[in-house]
Amino acid sequence: MTFVITATCVDVKDQSCIEECPVDCIYVGGRKLYIQPAECIDCGACEPVCPVEAIYAGRQLPEDKAVDKDDNRAFFEEVLPGRDAPLGRPGGYAKVGEIEVDTARITDFVKPPDED
Amino acid sequence: MLIVGAGPCGLYGAYYAGFRGLTVAVVDSLPEAGGQITALYPEKMIFDIAGFPSVRGKDLVDNLVAQAAPFDPIYLLGEQAVAYEQLPDAALIRCASGQTVCAKAVVVTGGIGTFNPRPLPGAADWVDRGLAYIVPTYGPYADKDVVVVGGGDSAVDWALGLEPVARSVTIVHRRDDFRAHGHSVKLLRASTVTLVTPAQVVGMDGAQHVESVSVRDVKTKAVTVLPAQAVVAALGFTADITPLEAWGLDVQDRHIVVDTSMATNLPRVFAAGDITEYPGKVRLISVGFGEAATAVNNAATVIDPAAEVFPGHSTDQVAGSVA
Repeated sequence: MTFVITATCVDVKDQSCIEECPVDCIYVGGRKLYIQPAECIDCGACEPVCPVEAIYAGRQLPEDKAVDKDDNRAFFEEVLPGRDAPLGRPGGYAKVGEIEVDTARITDFVKPPDED
Repeated sequence: MLIVGAGPCGLYGAYYAGFRGLTVAVVDSLPEAGGQITALYPEKMIFDIAGFPSVRGKDLVDNLVAQAAPFDPIYLLGEQAVAYEQLPDAALIRCASGQTVCAKAVVVTGGIGTFNPRPLPGAADWVDRGLAYIVPTYGPYADKDVVVVGGGDSAVDWALGLEPVARSVTIVHRRDDFRAHGHSVKLLRASTVTLVTPAQVVGMDGAQHVESVSVRDVKTKAVTVLPAQAVVAALGFTADITPLEAWGLDVQDRHIVVDTSMATNLPRVFAAGDITEYPGKVRLISVGFGEAATAVNNAATVIDPAAEVFPGHSTDQVAGSVA
């Protein structure tokens, strides 16, 4: 089980985690960042640097955030708006740059007031 | 025997190679032994090393180095093993520096691959034209306006080291907070180093050599142009397995396929630790230690076909002797 960036990241996109990731598996969407679960090596370097504590080990994900795990996967497996094919496994954020769109759930996500 | 990767499994392999009476060299692209432990979590406590209820990461590395030390392993640190050539009775490994190592057997304990500095986005053209990723000495920066990019320990340490040498030092970081050690950050804030945060480098300009850097404020999006004759990007490291793929190893999803003796598809080349792949693989240090013992002892029979796979018991050693 790999690490997961939850919706707490929405509209924050601090990107400190990207500087820590040794395999460059964190990708920048329009409103949040996403971890490619098949590329993540489970090292945990990203988790402590997130200023809003949006990152969890998948196995320690609180139940109410389980949907975020599906979302990280969907970002790479589903065809995102304006694209012809799923992102799949790009092999590093540096190779593809900002994706600028999100999964349907995150595109319409309304942040709860207590997370602002 | 050559061991490629000085992480915990490589160090333990060096012990076993020495125990078997082999001469052993250990090559690693990082400047220090310890692999991911040293690079990612030296201060973290580890709780799943057999016989150690808990051990600090760097203490485990120190102990592994000490365990191998009686056999005098040759450490080739800061060297990246980039090519494999099959010789009639050996393997020839070439390093990026040009150094070659001729070994009767090779054990690859390369973990997640070799570590490279993370590139500054869009700045590939400026390498060797004023852009550097590491600062081995401060001398070349004398009387220059230097822009350091990053917020970790390397960025802050280099900015502080350059301060008395350079004409000016500016540190550009994407956040207001620095991740470097608190004491270093305190020194930084008290120094003459100009802090530009939260900001990102968005461009570099100059005729032949860099003359200026464009920096964009993350919040206001305003772009400022700073004079700079040198730029240091300290954005951490990423791991890359492609140098090992170039050997001709069977690599699947960043892992080397091995059999039950830890043999790879290449003659005289074995693998152990996080880098291996086989059905049922579990990526833990404890498993890697076992694989290192399997790889080294099977490799020993390639070096000497008359040798047995089983190395004998370490308890049979005469106290104080090493082989």
